Amino acid sequence: MAAVTVALTACVPVQHVASTAEHTDDYGTPVGAQAVQAGGELVMGLSSEPDRLDPTTSSSLYTRYVMSTICEKLYDLGPSGQIVPQLATGLPTTSPDGLTVTIPVRTGITFADGTPFDAAAVRTSLQRHLTLKGSQRTSEMGPVRSVEAPDASHVVMTFKKPFAPITAALADRAGMILSPAALAAEGANFGDHPVCVGPFKFVKRVPQTSIEVERDPRYYDAAQVHLDRILYRIMPDANIRAANLRSGDIHVADTISPQDVDALAKDPDLKVLQSPSLGYQGVTINTGNVDGAGTPPKPIDTPLARDPRVRQAFASSVDRQTLVDTVFNNWFDVACSPIAPQSPYATPASDACPAYDPARSRQLLAEAGVPTPYTVTLQVSNTQDQLRYAQALQASVAEGGFDLKIVPVEYSTLLDVQKRGDFELLQLGWSGRIDPDGNTARFLSTGSGGNYGGFSSAELDDLLSRAARAPGTAERADLYGRATQVIQRENPIVYTYRLRNLTVHSARVAGVEVYSDGVVRLGRAAFRADQEG
Amino acid sequence: MLRYLFHRLWQSAVTLVLASIVVFAGVRALPGDPALAMAGEEADPQTLAAVRAQLGLDDPLPVQYVKFLGHALTGDFGRSTRTGTPVSEMIGATLPVTVQLAVYAMLIAVLAGLLLGVIAAVFRGRWPEWAANGFSLFALSVPTFWLGILAVVYLSVQLGWFPASGYVSPLKDPVRGLYYLTLPAVILGLSHAAVVQRQTRGSMVGTLTADFVRTARAKGLGRGAVIVRYGLRNSLIVVTTIVGLQLGGLIAGAVVTERIFSLPGIGKLTLDSVFSRDYPVIQAVVLVITFAYIVINLLVDVLYTVIDPRVRVSGRAS
Repeated sequence: MAAVTVALTACVPVQHVASTAEHTDDYGTPVGAQAVQAGGELVMGLSSEPDRLDPTTSSSLYTRYVMSTICEKLYDLGPSGQIVPQLATGLPTTSPDGLTVTIPVRTGITFADGTPFDAAAVRTSLQRHLTLKGSQRTSEMGPVRSVEAPDASHVVMTFKKPFAPITAALADRAGMILSPAALAAEGANFGDHPVCVGPFKFVKRVPQTSIEVERDPRYYDAAQVHLDRILYRIMPDANIRAANLRSGDIHVADTISPQDVDALAKDPDLKVLQSPSLGYQGVTINTGNVDGAGTPPKPIDTPLARDPRVRQAFASSVDRQTLVDTVFNNWFDVACSPIAPQSPYATPASDACPAYDPARSRQLLAEAGVPTPYTVTLQVSNTQDQLRYAQALQASVAEGGFDLKIVPVEYSTLLDVQKRGDFELLQLGWSGRIDPDGNTARFLSTGSGGNYGGFSSAELDDLLSRAARAPGTAERADLYGRATQVIQRENPIVYTYRLRNLTVHSARVAGVEVYSDGVVRLGRAAFRADQEG
Repeated sequence: MLRYLFHRLWQSAVTLVLASIVVFAGVRALPGDPALAMAGEEADPQTLAAVRAQLGLDDPLPVQYVKFLGHALTGDFGRSTRTGTPVSEMIGATLPVTVQLAVYAMLIAVLAGLLLGVIAAVFRGRWPEWAANGFSLFALSVPTFWLGILAVVYLSVQLGWFPASGYVSPLKDPVRGLYYLTLPAVILGLSHAAVVQRQTRGSMVGTLTADFVRTARAKGLGRGAVIVRYGLRNSLIVVTTIVGLQLGGLIAGAVVTERIFSLPGIGKLTLDSVFSRDYPVIQAVVLVITFAYIVINLLVDVLYTVIDPRVRVSGRAS
């Protein structure tokens, strides 16, 4: 109980950055009444190569960028973070016991190959997401018992246990519906020639180089589609993307580095879009991952792993605001919990932030009987931004009595290290999910495959599983707030900062939109009429 | 000549098999789990196990190697674990880009290097030699990536003379194709031009001061004829050697150049595959590069025997 009191008194409301005009959110503006040209080819520089263009097996965030133009979903995210119908005609209705979810779907429209779209096609896709070998969607969709299509315009999902995050899952890749004819023809190789319902249809992919899509005349809302063609060019290097934006070789680029964005923002021919992320960056503390994530936790005999006071000391010696301001030129936001502040599930409790208090940190270390400086080792991805952050963090926690050793590790090795539990502290991020369950339970529930720190708390397990089942937003938000209090008391993950999705596009282009899921939406973009095409 | 060829072919085959073993073992020794890299952070243990089985990572290493070699011999390198595309298709798409870039860069390097080398040798001790030597010192000392970035910033972004990135096949559109490739080829060729310049100069100076040249001059042979007939001819064998040796360096340089100019070549493919632990792609790419390297060495050796018959004689003696 004492610990709870300490945690609560150590919390202050989140401090928002004194933002200048250029740092306010800008999700982009729909074309609307602006005068635009018909046609044209838009070129986007993609920061990372998408993996398989198959919604069932894809695990890459960047696949969603390309899929957003060729593969519509049952639900989509609206500009203000709300879930809106896309291929569905309304939000799902849930039976009183929470076990049956009915989704009304569109009829009278067709896939890009001419196959009619109906509830049976939806059922086929959902079944594939659930059962295909190597599917990445199975766990996202929850404890599904069955998927039925009682008539052409309704799909009924039944669950073994109530599962509130299903709507959010259907607003992501699990909600993408694939042409049954193409599935029959291509099977597991669907990703070679994906066919869905969307403003554009897949033309070709040159591995490592580009993906080309062209306008689909069969698309039900084709009047809103202006471009003839979109070419996604793969350009992993941030400097190269910035240079190509300036030279006009590409019109849109995602994931602009905070180091480049100030310069690009000054260019009158370019426009910066920014949206806050649903994900987070944080330091995971290994409290019990000895035999690999997903196996039962085992005790680790270090003060950091066994004593919550030491972890709390670490958390209070992180000067979040100063770190973000200095390392990322004030472009990113501080993070204190797994719930993003703009999420409908955010509450004052989940927004609360442990104050930076190095004196308190030293006091907690003394109470725990740990001599200072206490040496801890942080493994971090060897990218420039991550290393810069780690070095600044090192200076910050030194004030609180920690001697932080930094070990840079190549990214895919770091994932492996994380899984095996071969670390003391580890800095990594999570791209974020619309539903808070995808940002919490996966990483913090006892025995979960994504619980890399091997953390185990019966209290937190109970709160998170109740939050996943609870029907109403307010009730769920309250439970996530209470979960945040437990997390900030135990500190299995010390949340540090949130990226902003920084997207830059040419001023010649209108209608590029980026919401908080980070997906750059180009389906309704156009070249402006008053500019040369 | 035939026996010499046969001998070299046999050597090459053994090298290739050894290389395949080294490549296979090397890729396996990389830290990181390809199944994890493919399935992503979000994968649950069942998915990971399914992916592993699908990739054949469950088999013992020797079994994996034999399967890999068997398929490779028929040109089947499997599918990319990341994108699911057949690897042979990926190599087929990227290799021509790198070959074009390398040939273009080498052409620039040889022409510029020979010209500057001849100038330096002919104008020994005077300012043209200093200028030519200064150029080669600069080109050798400055890292390719830095020059490449400068070129993009000044020549592409500020002046707009060249595209900052991109590729058009010169086979489809020769003018645009060469336009897109020129800047990367110049950047890639610079350091090689410097090496060619130095060697040409050295060899020319040696030739031009040799007794037989003095005799030829005394007999009334013109200065131009001496430079071309004796000097250049003798320099050619040096240049051939260098071109052969430098091709390896050219491929290494292409990795950097292709990344800077975002060229869809095999260098970029290699780098991206290493980052995503794409085993089948890395193995195939390295094997194909090794194969190309061995073939080039073989060709250079054969070319020697044409230019300089003494090589053929010693080849037979061994």
